[in-house]
Amino acid sequence: MKYILLMSGRKAGVERYHAWSQQDIAAHMSVLQLLNKELTESGEFVATQGLAEPREAKVVRGEKNGLPVTDGIFPESKEFLLGYWIVEVATPERAYAIAGRISAAPGPGGVPTNMPIEVRQFAMYGSKSQ
Amino acid sequence: MKYILMMNTMKAGQGVPNWPQKDFQAHIAFMMNLNKDLREAGELVSAEGLSFPDQAKLVRAGKNGAPITDGVFPESKEFLAGYWIIDVDSPERAYAIAARVSAAPGPGGAPLNLPVEVRPIMSGSPPEMP
Repeated sequence: MKYILLMSGRKAGVERYHAWSQQDIAAHMSVLQLLNKELTESGEFVATQGLAEPREAKVVRGEKNGLPVTDGIFPESKEFLLGYWIVEVATPERAYAIAGRISAAPGPGGVPTNMPIEVRQFAMYGSKSQ
Repeated sequence: MKYILMMNTMKAGQGVPNWPQKDFQAHIAFMMNLNKDLREAGELVSAEGLSFPDQAKLVRAGKNGAPITDGVFPESKEFLAGYWIIDVDSPERAYAIAARVSAAPGPGGAPLNLPVEVRPIMSGSPPEMP
């Protein structure tokens, strides 16, 4: 079963992150790197990506003639995807356990961020990946 | 340059399961055709559809590291319905592809005109937070 674990946040949270000390960022990253290594070794790792900052986001709609109309203005309350993990696991409980590990990654002063991680299964009509 | 194109839906009123079979098939055929074009152009990295929001869970780490799951979300929450990762030469090309996604047919064959969020993907992994 393939799941995607989505880490989201608002612009204000991203700005707070920029104020983290170098040491706190390094500790946070090393915990996530260790998790990625473990998932690779257990054969559960499929992919992980971080996204660029919300200020680089655009929302696009197709106009009548098919041309794109772009807009870069979002409500402050909008949740932006910050990054994701794709895992292939035997049970949903295993996906929740991995999400729990991500949520427990340390923040400032080594205190767990406790960020909520959204866990979603890929649609059953099959992968469209190349 | 790698971009992610995100198609979001609201939990309420996203209604796809209630579309007539014919309209749903036309929508999927449109998406398959788009994916084929992107693959042939060498621009498709991956494309996935996610299961419906009623199966989504939100996970946080408990004090002992055990996952705490919750399936209750605010009505206003946007859910990721599906995404494309593309590798293109310019942001304008990413916007043009997003406009094509936006024009996918809905009930009765009318273009959905969905907003599609376009974000650059960071070149390194793992993801940055929060």
